[in-house]
Amino acid sequence: MTAQDVVTRIQQKLAADGIAWRTTTVDTFKAGRPDGAVRGIATTGMATFDLLRRASAAGRNFVITHEPTFYNHLDQTEALASDPTYLAKLRFIEDQGMIVWRFHDHAHTLRPDPLVVGSARTLGLTPFASPTERGIYVVPQTTLRALAADVARRVGGHFIRVCGDPEMKVTRIAMGPGYGVPALTQAVDVSIGGEAPESGGHAEYAMDAQALGRPRGVILLGHMMSEDWGMREVADWLRAFVTEVPVEWIAAGEPFGRRT
Amino acid sequence: MAQPPSRREFLWTAASTVVAATTRGGRPQPSTVTVGVVIARLQEKLGLPWREGSIDGLKAGTPDAIVTGIATTVMATADVLRRAAASGRNLVFTQEPTFFNAAEDGANRAADGVYLAKKALVDERHLVVWRFSEHWNARKPNESVGALGNALGWSAYRMADGEAVYKIPETRLDALIQHVRTRLHLRGGLRWLGRPDMPVRTVLLSPGTTDLPSTVARMPRADVLIAGEPREWEAVPYVLDAGPQKAIVSVGRIVSLEPGAGACAAWIRSFTPELSVDAMAVGDPYWSAS
Repeated sequence: MTAQDVVTRIQQKLAADGIAWRTTTVDTFKAGRPDGAVRGIATTGMATFDLLRRASAAGRNFVITHEPTFYNHLDQTEALASDPTYLAKLRFIEDQGMIVWRFHDHAHTLRPDPLVVGSARTLGLTPFASPTERGIYVVPQTTLRALAADVARRVGGHFIRVCGDPEMKVTRIAMGPGYGVPALTQAVDVSIGGEAPESGGHAEYAMDAQALGRPRGVILLGHMMSEDWGMREVADWLRAFVTEVPVEWIAAGEPFGRRT
Repeated sequence: MAQPPSRREFLWTAASTVVAATTRGGRPQPSTVTVGVVIARLQEKLGLPWREGSIDGLKAGTPDAIVTGIATTVMATADVLRRAAASGRNLVFTQEPTFFNAAEDGANRAADGVYLAKKALVDERHLVVWRFSEHWNARKPNESVGALGNALGWSAYRMADGEAVYKIPETRLDALIQHVRTRLHLRGGLRWLGRPDMPVRTVLLSPGTTDLPSTVARMPRADVLIAGEPREWEAVPYVLDAGPQKAIVSVGRIVSLEPGAGACAAWIRSFTPELSVDAMAVGDPYWSAS
């Protein structure tokens, strides 16, 4: 079975589910030979160098990554052509007979979105999903402090950032994966996601909401502490129709706090 | 778990700047300078052509308002706006948007309580909000970099040819992190990766948006990247992948630009001698749940 065979089967599965393959997409091969033989598949939030080493050691030479391999959304490498980090990573992929393919745009079109499912499951929010509002979770009343502590414990992150009054009451949570942190309004108490700019209606809205007596909060998990989990869902999904080779989820992990 | 926010921590800089303003000027004469006059001077002193269609400009208030005093800030939060009004400064220069998006229309918040309350605050206090970001950051050498370097006590260490690379007295990563935490009054917004005992001699300062191209171009000359807002699919994995000889200390967009707001106040003061001009700190927005 080649990497291209796996991708073709993913495309067929999507077609059978009524999802057309996009003509413009970042879901393409990023490195290695599409016609290379697959010994095992690793799904992950991001094909970092560290992740590639661990996947290779585990015999998973085909890496399906949600986020880029070469540090920009389109994985453009012209500006990196003489960069030692890029060259070392590319050489490692080639020397180890690895193949990297990205599964981002189409992963988010699956229903339910596995990145949302994975985050919600890890955060313990699944039972509280609103039956009528997508991305909204209604939990028994808690405080921002207690919710944030619970979230930090569940994801095991070193750098979970929170903005808002720790004592504010929380029942309505908006959650979105990765960079899709729902922007805050008065319609929810807290927004949870991966990473967000500090001028897009997240932290600064929470600061203003507190100052203006209508407290709201935001919890930023970090991109991988938000989206790694969804690629475990993708591994489970793949296993149902790719049975010839082992399929394993290997977390990229939180980059911050890494001591190597 | 790190300590949750205290108002005292938020306000430390604000208090010191207000004291400085009231003691320096003596008894101020009533101003007759309009916003339009201040902006005309600013554009003249800038040393750069004014860009068509810039995000910079008037976001609230009127250009013919008489200026009673000027506040500069990274972000005109409700707290900053109140402090500006309370200290008699009705003209606020902000680097970041005020109403939660670049268009300053609140996005989908036309009926949102926080958006409306913030608009009401601006109106009731007769404040004028003027965004000054694009042109400020276009000045060479970059003002935000120099101000951040000064805030870290490194004014003597900026490399002549290095744009934003500083050659500092040798230290270790863990000591550098502690230095940055203390100097920039960080709370939960401080994040880092790297070997704690890694020797550090060179540091790249990249306040604001820590983009990939400038990081790739300059990081070969630096051991540590001190970042404002690095994307976690760009500069963060790039430095992570570079291996154990490189590290990141990320401080957040607002905190990284805060010293620059002080530099901006000093620059505006240089051409508005009849007015009191001071920076107002926003502070680290985050506390840590970890």
